[in-house]
Amino acid sequence: MSGSPCRRTSPGGKDLDALDRDLLAELEAGLPVTSEPFETLGRRLDITGAEVLERLGRLRNEGIIRRFRARIDQRKLGISANAIVGWKVPEERREEVGLLFASHPEVTHCYERRAVPGRWDYTLYTVHHRADRNAVTEEVRALASGAGISDYTIIFSSKELKRVPAVRIRENGSP
Amino acid sequence: MSSFMPDKTDLALIDALQDDIPLVSKPWEALGRDLGISEKEVMDRLNVLEESRIIRGIAPVLDSQRMGLNAATLVALRVPENRVEEVAEIVGEYPEVSHNYLRDHPFNIWFTIAAKDERRVSDVLSRIRDRTGLDGEDILNLPTVKRFKIHVRFALPADLSRRKGFGRA
Repeated sequence: MSGSPCRRTSPGGKDLDALDRDLLAELEAGLPVTSEPFETLGRRLDITGAEVLERLGRLRNEGIIRRFRARIDQRKLGISANAIVGWKVPEERREEVGLLFASHPEVTHCYERRAVPGRWDYTLYTVHHRADRNAVTEEVRALASGAGISDYTIIFSSKELKRVPAVRIRENGSP
Repeated sequence: MSSFMPDKTDLALIDALQDDIPLVSKPWEALGRDLGISEKEVMDRLNVLEESRIIRGIAPVLDSQRMGLNAATLVALRVPENRVEEVAEIVGEYPEVSHNYLRDHPFNIWFTIAAKDERRVSDVLSRIRDRTGLDGEDILNLPTVKRFKIHVRFALPADLSRRKGFGRA
């Protein structure tokens, strides 16, 4: 039972009420490092720590919260190389190869994207993070031979220009 | 490179924090129990890791579609070296742009746009095109067709002191 007296809804965001939004916005800076962080958060929002936990548990069960984990600057931990890899995969193998690539724990992202026919024909994309570029290249070669796909391009990043979560309650997302 | 070098216990803590934190009233105590350290030690280490920006906050990852971002694309731009900074600044202004990287490729600026619908995504993209004056052939628009996987979890080294580029401070 939610302790919120007025559970407001809005089109397209019917699973979230105003307090859920405030809570998620408050959490964007990260969980406070106090002994009872949910209690600390609750005090800022005038609700109990138990209600904070109840709401977070519900959002988690509903799949709105996918994970609740540390955001890490992997470069500071010696994971300096990052690449996006574009793969040319025949239409009829896209699903199978997409699932295969996604099953590798070292692949953090795997997407199918629309090509630009004749100019850019890569349709599957994977993202890789390793200590150095050689390690990324080896990892990608292993993936390529495992899938029997030889047409791919490795595009290394050289500088992070912007990196924020796609959803920021007050800026993007949250209809 | 940060001057602070995490020790093995820090790395074990960071690794544990790549998975979901326990949703209980005293999560640091619960984490400490798993790692064999006290709640206070978890908190002390967390404070240091956050101050050194190795950990950029412990926060929920929201499902972008469930949060109303129904359209997304990856865009690549081919930009002359001397315009990279200016173009990156324009791209970065849009709240719909979350990730932007300089890459070693003729198409050298790669960024993502996520917005409520395709109309808004193409609106952001055409504004960027207008403001940068780039030709259509210097832009690749690669809309998301299917998300097979998003799960960022890094394979961390167990011990950084043996890594190249990490001398003991």
